[in-house]
Amino acid sequence: MVDSVFLALSVITIGSAIVALEVRSLIYGSIALMITLSGVAGFFLLLDAPFVAMFQLSVYVGSIAVLILFTVMLVRRELIFNKVEDKRRRYAGIGLMLALMLGIGTIIIGSGLKTMDTNSPMVDYKKIGEDFLTYYSPALIVMGLILASSITGAMTLARREDVMDDQRAN
Amino acid sequence: MSTIAPQFRLSRFIASLFDLIFWVLLIFSLVGLPIVFIILFYIKLPVINGQFMTPYLALTWIADPSRTLPIVKAFIHTTIFKVVVFPGFGFAAILAAATIFIERKFLAKIQLRVGPLYCGKIEGILQLMGDGFKLMSKEIIIPAKADKPIFWMGPLLFVGAAGAFVSLIPVAPGWVVANPNVGLLAVFAVIGFFPIIAVLTAWAANSKWTFIGGLRALHQMVAFEIPLILSLLGVVILSGSLNLSHIVESQQHFWWITFVPIGAIVFFITIFAELERVPFDLPEAESEIVAGWLTEFSGMMYGLIQLGTYLKLYAFAGLFVVLFLGGWNGPMVWPPFPQDIITHGITIGPVTAKFPGLPLFDQEMLNGTLWFVIKTVGVILLILLPRGVFPRVRMDIALHTGWYKLIGLAFINIFIALGLLYAGVLGPGGLLQ
Repeated sequence: MVDSVFLALSVITIGSAIVALEVRSLIYGSIALMITLSGVAGFFLLLDAPFVAMFQLSVYVGSIAVLILFTVMLVRRELIFNKVEDKRRRYAGIGLMLALMLGIGTIIIGSGLKTMDTNSPMVDYKKIGEDFLTYYSPALIVMGLILASSITGAMTLARREDVMDDQRAN
Repeated sequence: MSTIAPQFRLSRFIASLFDLIFWVLLIFSLVGLPIVFIILFYIKLPVINGQFMTPYLALTWIADPSRTLPIVKAFIHTTIFKVVVFPGFGFAAILAAATIFIERKFLAKIQLRVGPLYCGKIEGILQLMGDGFKLMSKEIIIPAKADKPIFWMGPLLFVGAAGAFVSLIPVAPGWVVANPNVGLLAVFAVIGFFPIIAVLTAWAANSKWTFIGGLRALHQMVAFEIPLILSLLGVVILSGSLNLSHIVESQQHFWWITFVPIGAIVFFITIFAELERVPFDLPEAESEIVAGWLTEFSGMMYGLIQLGTYLKLYAFAGLFVVLFLGGWNGPMVWPPFPQDIITHGITIGPVTAKFPGLPLFDQEMLNGTLWFVIKTVGVILLILLPRGVFPRVRMDIALHTGWYKLIGLAFINIFIALGLLYAGVLGPGGLLQ
C-alpha cells in the first residue's frame, strides 16, 4: 500500500516538476510547481511527519506559489524572461543533474543510512519545540534575529516616501 | 386545474404510479436480482450472527425493521457515513442551504422589506429549491477565449477545498471526519488554497472584471491570512494542543473567549475578509466590477461556487465555536432515551414490537450536537448581520487594517496569552490544569 502510494507520489512530483520547467505557459508552469510542492508534502505525510507536511502546504503552496502567481500576473512576460534555448544547453543541464544525483546518491548510500531504524515511533512536535527551547536555543535566537531584521528591512523598503502622511489610510 | 397538464385525472395518475411500481418490481426481480447474484458470487460474504450472509438474507433484514436497526447502527459508525452524512458533507450542506435562505429573510427584515414570499406559500420557504432548479437547468456558458481546463477546474476545486475545511470541524465528542493531531495547521493549509483558486479562475475567464476581482481577492486574502493565523496562536498556547477536539475538551469549564477576547475579535474580523463578505466584499463588489471573479460563471458552475462559499461560511463559524466558544460543551438538556423501549419495546394496544439496537445515537452526542448547532447558528447570524448594516470599505483601508492593525492586535493577544500562562492564572496551579 505504502509502496504504491510512494510510487504514485514520485511520478506525480517528478512529472509535474518536469512540466513546470518545460511548459510554455507561465501560469501552467506555476500550477505544475504547486503540484510538485504538494507532492513533497505528501512525502512528508508518508514519513509520519504531518507537522512538516502541513507547513509545507501552508508556506510553499499557500504563500510562495501565491507570490509566483502575483509576479507572473502583474508583470509582462517579455520583461522578465528572455528564454535562451538550444539543444546543447538542455543536454548539458540533464547531464549535470544526473552527475549531481549520482554524487549525492553515493554519499547518502555510503553514509550508513541503511542501518537506521525505520520502525521508530513518530516524533511529537512538542518534543521538537522542547529541543528548540533548550539544546538548540542559540540557533532559535539567531533565526529569530534574522527573521526580525528581514521583516524590518522589508518594511523599510516598502515604505513610500512620496506619500504624505495625510494621504495614508489610517 | 393546472394549465401545464389540462388532461390531468387523479385516477389515471394513481394508475400510472401502480404501473410504474409493477414494472420496477418486475425488472428488479428478473434483471436486478440476477445481477446482484452474479456480483455477490465474486465477493466474499461476511458471517453475521452465525448466519451466512446471502442476498436473500440481506433483503429480509432490510425489510424487517427489528433486524435492520443493528445494521443501520453499524453503518452510522462507518467512515462513509461520517464523510457523506453526519459531521461531513450532508450536515454542512443542509446548514449552508438554510443559511442562504435565512440570509435573505434576515436582511429583508433588517431593511424593512419582505424578502422571498411566494414560493411555497409560507414565507417563501421553497425559494431555495426553486433557485437550485433554476441553476441546474441553466446553460453553462464558457467564454470563447477562456482557458478551459482551469476554468472548469475552478468551481470543483473550490467546493473540494471547502469540503476539506468542513471535514476538520468536530461537531460532537468523537464525531469528526478527520481528526489529525495537527488539525489547526491543516486548517491553515486548506485556507491557503482559496486565494490561488480565486486568482486562477479569474485569470482563466479572460475578462477584465474577473481579473480585477481575482487580484483584489488575492491581495485581500493574503493580507488577512497572517492575522488569522496569529490570532489563533493564543488559543494554542493556552490549550497546549493543535488538535481541534483536544481544544474543545480543554474548554470544559471556561471558554477561551473569556481569556483571549482580542484574539476572538481579530479572528472574527478576518473571517469577513476570507469569506469576501460585507464590509470586505471588494473581490465581488457588484456595483463596481459586475460580480468580481464570479462574473463569467453561469448555471451550475456558479451554483457550485455558491455552495462552496456557504460551506466555507459554516466551517469558519464552526471553527470560531470550536476555538473560542467551547464547541460542543454545554449543560445536559437532551432527555435520556426511555429505558422502557430498550427493555420492553414499544406497545401500541395489543401489539408489542421489540427493537434491538436502540438508541441509535447516545445522549452525549445528541446534546453536544445541539449545543454546537445553536452556537454555530448564532455565529453565522452575527456574520450575516453586517451585510444589512455596513457599507463596503475602500481597498487601501482594507489592506491597511489587515497588515497593520490586526497583526498588531494579534501580537498583543499572544502576549496576553503568554502572560496568563506565566503569571500562573492558567496552567499548573491556576484555574485550569
